[in-house]
Amino acid sequence: MIVAIAVTQPQAPARQARRNSPMYRAWQRYRKNWFAVAGLIWVVIFFIIGIIGPWIAPYSYTYADFLHMHSGPSWQHWFGTDTVGYDVFSQILYSIRYALEIALGATCVSFLIGVILGLWAGLAGGIIDVIVMRAVDFMFALPSFFFALILMVLLGKGIFPMILAIGVPGWAGYARLIRSLVLAMRNGEMVEAARALGASQWHIARRYMFPNVVGSMVVSLAFGIPYDLTAQAGLSIVGMGLNPPMPSFGNMLAQAGANILGFPWLLYFPAGVFAITLLSFLFVADGLQEAFNPKGGV
Amino acid sequence: MSQPLLSIEDLRVEFDRGEDTVYAVNGVSFSIAEGETLGIVGESGSGKSVTLMSAIGLIRENGRIRSGRAMFQGTDLLKLSERQLEDIRGREIGVVFQDPMTSLNPVMRIGDQIMEAMLAHHFCSHREAFERTLQLLHEMGIPEPKARFRNYPHEFSGGMRQRIMIAIALACEPQLLIADEPTTALDVTVQMQILALLQEQRRKRNMSVAIITHDFGVATNFCDRIIVLYAGQIMEVADTGTFLRESAHPYTVGLKHSIIEIGHRARPLQPIPGMAPTITEMPHSCSFASRCPFAAERCRSELPQLREIGSGHWVACHRAEEVLADVI
Amino acid sequence: MFYVKFLAKRFVAIVITLAAVIAISYIMMYYSPGGFMNTTQLASALAPLAAQDPAAYQKLMEQFQSRYGLNLPLWRQVLQYEWHTFTFNFGNSMQNPTLSIVSQLKGALPISVFLAFGSVVVSVVIGIPMGVIAALKRNSWVDYLVTTLSMFGQAIPSFVLAVIFVLIFGVVWQNVLPVTGWGTPADAVLPVLSLAAGNIGVVARYMRGSLIETMRQDFIRTAKAKGVKYWALVIRHGVRNSLTALITVIGPQFAFTVVGTVWVENIFAIPGLGKVISTAFTNFDFPMAITAVFILGGTIMLTNLVVDLIYSWMDPRVKLQ
Repeated sequence: MIVAIAVTQPQAPARQARRNSPMYRAWQRYRKNWFAVAGLIWVVIFFIIGIIGPWIAPYSYTYADFLHMHSGPSWQHWFGTDTVGYDVFSQILYSIRYALEIALGATCVSFLIGVILGLWAGLAGGIIDVIVMRAVDFMFALPSFFFALILMVLLGKGIFPMILAIGVPGWAGYARLIRSLVLAMRNGEMVEAARALGASQWHIARRYMFPNVVGSMVVSLAFGIPYDLTAQAGLSIVGMGLNPPMPSFGNMLAQAGANILGFPWLLYFPAGVFAITLLSFLFVADGLQEAFNPKGGV
Repeated sequence: MSQPLLSIEDLRVEFDRGEDTVYAVNGVSFSIAEGETLGIVGESGSGKSVTLMSAIGLIRENGRIRSGRAMFQGTDLLKLSERQLEDIRGREIGVVFQDPMTSLNPVMRIGDQIMEAMLAHHFCSHREAFERTLQLLHEMGIPEPKARFRNYPHEFSGGMRQRIMIAIALACEPQLLIADEPTTALDVTVQMQILALLQEQRRKRNMSVAIITHDFGVATNFCDRIIVLYAGQIMEVADTGTFLRESAHPYTVGLKHSIIEIGHRARPLQPIPGMAPTITEMPHSCSFASRCPFAAERCRSELPQLREIGSGHWVACHRAEEVLADVI
Repeated sequence: MFYVKFLAKRFVAIVITLAAVIAISYIMMYYSPGGFMNTTQLASALAPLAAQDPAAYQKLMEQFQSRYGLNLPLWRQVLQYEWHTFTFNFGNSMQNPTLSIVSQLKGALPISVFLAFGSVVVSVVIGIPMGVIAALKRNSWVDYLVTTLSMFGQAIPSFVLAVIFVLIFGVVWQNVLPVTGWGTPADAVLPVLSLAAGNIGVVARYMRGSLIETMRQDFIRTAKAKGVKYWALVIRHGVRNSLTALITVIGPQFAFTVVGTVWVENIFAIPGLGKVISTAFTNFDFPMAITAVFILGGTIMLTNLVVDLIYSWMDPRVKLQ
């Protein structure tokens, strides 16, 4: 609604400036993408549940209702209970919490290492650049999931080990991106042109570098988070994730797969929530990519 | 003059750009006689390419032919289906495009690309197509045709690639060759060679050629007759000789003054002030008036019609006679 | 000669990468709780043998001790292990200490390779036509359908799809397709589809974008001007040029799919290399785990090498390096 007012008052100079800012235009493009907006709504809900989930969960994830083991959805247990009597709804709420903790933590770890190494490679150049880029090639030669498995062995099970196990091997993509941004900035034609036109350093940074850099980073982070969510569940699938009774989507899916014949509701809700979440993240990431880089890419 | 090979009548083409419409061609009529070389001159955006490309169905997706006819050997090309046009393109009408760097398929051997033109029309057998390709490469001045047959476009220089483009266009012995800025993307020395090659082939094959160019010098050196387009309208039509002696449209005069002539260094170069407009509404006055040194009140209110002021010399200018007098 | 040099260079790169992976893995497992040779694990696996034939037990234990040189400094251990691995002397596993790793992997490797390659082939066969149709009918309902389906395929991981398949074919339509085990061709259908879905999405979307871009190129106009018929134009010029771009995504997709086999084999209870890997890791059977990673990693890198060769063959402008 606020946006509608902005459109009806184009003469206001402050609004005018905002309307022309790259961020605003990116948002305008994003808004038009229906899928991306729907995805964003669910992602926001997902985050909110991740924060308040443990408080609104009707049962603790350690509470097993022995009187209602593997019962279908009911008023008492909205999404039913599993073979031990755990409440599936509460398990999902806790799973979202841990999944978010791990995925966000891992993405931060990857991003931090990537930024440091990428900046170092891009700014220092020379032999350091060569070494970092060789390391990037090395990380890309094999799926990082294998590295995550190996790290899990070293670190043992738990939330913090999972953050490190998924996060540490994921740095290569960010490092390569940051390095390329640094190089593009150092001898970027757009910056050159702006400077030739007499733009100030601050103006150049704010107007040309910042949106470009922020856009690329936001897009790569938006693709990174769902990847880490998948990796996190994937570790549980192969038995290297959180130990039960710590709830996680991977554990629930693995358990549902094993017990599907009698209790299909064990699958509906975890699989549904997890699939919708990943889909939403992809819609958001896709929408962001198009918004920041309308001409580029597939 | 003999029976025209292609005659375009009152052609109007528009491009839909979403928020507005660009009127690219606004009522253009002209014809190309058999064996004639016609030059179509204009700045970029003047509609010179669109005119001929829409006649053979090669305009962009958002282009729309509003009205007009394009009579080619008794049939109206604009009424043909895409399938029927496919039979004419490459068979009766060959096209050479501007940029030989991007106009050839990068992952196809150049020999195959030439052969494809013949095989698409069942012009001859596979065996003959191969022989003809070698012959064409030889005629286009490409050394060692047999070895070069298997090369890819990126293994050739720009000039060589344009020769290959010409070979493709001539593969089925078309009656009309459309050369759309054939030398614009090339070095100056190579330009001359390509023009000489086109000249030679035209004489040898006795075909009609339409050269689309922004280079007035190319047109005067090479063409029998010249059409000057501006903002999608014909400004002047005349034989090359008439053009050089007594061009009667201020725009044409400006074009002549804006080219560098070797040996005339003393004369200062005079660019035409302003820029060629993109027409987003139907013109009701002379499109050139805003840049014209001769512009009068009438020019800004009334659209000048094309009228004949000498034998075969047509001008769309209210003040053509005065311009002519002034020039002479 | 050129190709020999190229292949030699790439081979060296692959060996170095694998050596680094082994070294890193070994060092991490060395420092993991329990150490590389988890003796309690080994002892429990060998308990029946110890009761039955103490002499053989003692001999086997010593064999393991000397093989992994646990008294040597770490760097000697790593070098020794590298040497063993690159001479394909993988030794015995710790879960089944009496059996050699090779004998245990012999049956597993072809299954995983089949699943991974099979799903890539399926995704190319299905994804390319989907992408082509979407590109040619841009902004039509077919396009939206293909794009949306591709997004779903791309977003939903293979293990979620696998579990959903188990639900559909294990509960709703029982006896249509088998949902566990391995042996008949029908057993391969659901795992391959689970793995292929994501790849189909990627291939279709990439093909769509690439073909739309290609059809705007100048050489397409040249081909039209030659009078090439529509479908010949689309296939010989459009799709042919788009494929060269598409081939570059096949490499990463293959690696992605190999990870997928680890998950999917667990869900469908398929005795492939992926199942072996997860069992090995969860049981601290490190020799087995490293060997499996070594083999899968080698397969991925060799596949990438082949993809690069195909790429250079398909696009003459590409210079191998």
